[in-house]
Amino acid sequence: MDGFLDLIRDITIYFSIFYPLLYIKSFVSNNKAFKIFTIYLVVIAIIQFSLVLIVKMKLGSNIFLSHFYFTTQFVLLSLFYAELLKFKWIIIVMTLVLIGVAYQFIDDPSLFYRYNPSGFTVTQLLIVIYALLYFYKSLSKKNEFLIVNIGIFFYLLSSALIFASGNLIFDVSISESVSATLGDINIVLYLAFQFLIFVEWWKNYSIPKIKS
Amino acid sequence: MVEELFNTENQIVNIVLIAISLLLVMGIAIVLFFYFSRNRIKKVQLDKANLEISHQKEIFRSTIITQEKERQRIAQDLHDAISSKLNIVSLNANLLSKNDITLEEANNIGANILKVTNTVLESSRKIAHELLPPTLQKFGLEAAIEELYEELFDTRTFKINYSVNYTQNFLASNLELHLFRIVQELLSNSIKYAEATIISFALETKKNSLYLQYNDNGKGMDLENSHKKKGLGMIGIENRVVILNGKMNIDTSPNNGITVTIELNK
Repeated sequence: MDGFLDLIRDITIYFSIFYPLLYIKSFVSNNKAFKIFTIYLVVIAIIQFSLVLIVKMKLGSNIFLSHFYFTTQFVLLSLFYAELLKFKWIIIVMTLVLIGVAYQFIDDPSLFYRYNPSGFTVTQLLIVIYALLYFYKSLSKKNEFLIVNIGIFFYLLSSALIFASGNLIFDVSISESVSATLGDINIVLYLAFQFLIFVEWWKNYSIPKIKS
Repeated sequence: MVEELFNTENQIVNIVLIAISLLLVMGIAIVLFFYFSRNRIKKVQLDKANLEISHQKEIFRSTIITQEKERQRIAQDLHDAISSKLNIVSLNANLLSKNDITLEEANNIGANILKVTNTVLESSRKIAHELLPPTLQKFGLEAAIEELYEELFDTRTFKINYSVNYTQNFLASNLELHLFRIVQELLSNSIKYAEATIISFALETKKNSLYLQYNDNGKGMDLENSHKKKGLGMIGIENRVVILNGKMNIDTSPNNGITVTIELNK
């Protein structure tokens, strides 16, 4: 079982490098939302890669990277949905939340070496709300990025809980197997999310658009 | 102690697992709901589009039929009133060119040609007039309706009461023509098909709106049953009301005459 999950973990890491390449291929000929999403994939790939590097080279804790992961994810997906939904207030909400998170770190610098459950939950749930709004907007007409939207909605909704409970590993009374289980669930969900990103590219962007 | 620790651990894992499953189920429900609503909305939109297309086809069909009928009528008019008469002129002119006719005969033929030419002129003027009433262009809607009334009044088999209170240039001249045609078509329906004996209509403009109320005491019609197979005249009126961007209400039943109200807003 562990071997299988390790395999999935490796697959997700390789895929997270592979997908941006697919999207970069179609970067120029597509719209702003597509470009923002491609940048998101690239940034996530870099963070993933650094995570693995830190673990493999035994450089110590990689938890501080989670803050980069959540902040960039929040910023880029906010911009992505601001573009798709054409709502200006998403940018304002994004700025306010960023100020809030910055205040958390100023207030308690040691947070940098722990998980930040409230920060994770707020940022992930905001993105989930945007995904829901996008579902609503797509009801009556054909819209792009619907499959990715489903992926974002599922992955962020379920993983919000996993990451929010991330600080459990610092609880000495809880063994490592618990956090490992949570990590495994996250990996499976993440693979499903990646699969949907691939389906989106394959269905809508694999064939170059004819310029009209 | 170890057992206790194990229990808390299990509980936490269980709670987290249950919560994640609940979130996933909720998520699936939302996505399915979205998917089915989308399909339904698509279907409704498609039905609506199809209906619109069939309606447009119907309009298109009736336009073509009307056009063909009109052409037929004009061809008939041209043939009866002009071609055949010009034939007589040509025949007479041919006679004149012969050498062995007397002066008296020549005078007779000349008089005949003059007479026929005059009727041809009169007929061609009439045909042109029916195609596009010059009064409408020269003197406006009010004068054109008055003229229409005078023409019909000559026949005297029915009574027409009308009042026109139209502000000049309320409508653009091409739109005035549509309104005029509507009145013309209504009158022609009342006289030709409904055999009405009393017709009354009122046209009135207010600051930003125009009202046309028309009624007769003719045979009327069964709107419910005639809905599927409307006369071309009625379809023509409907189309013109659409072009004028107005609202029309028809109130009629067999043997109870007809009341048509049209309202346009600027």
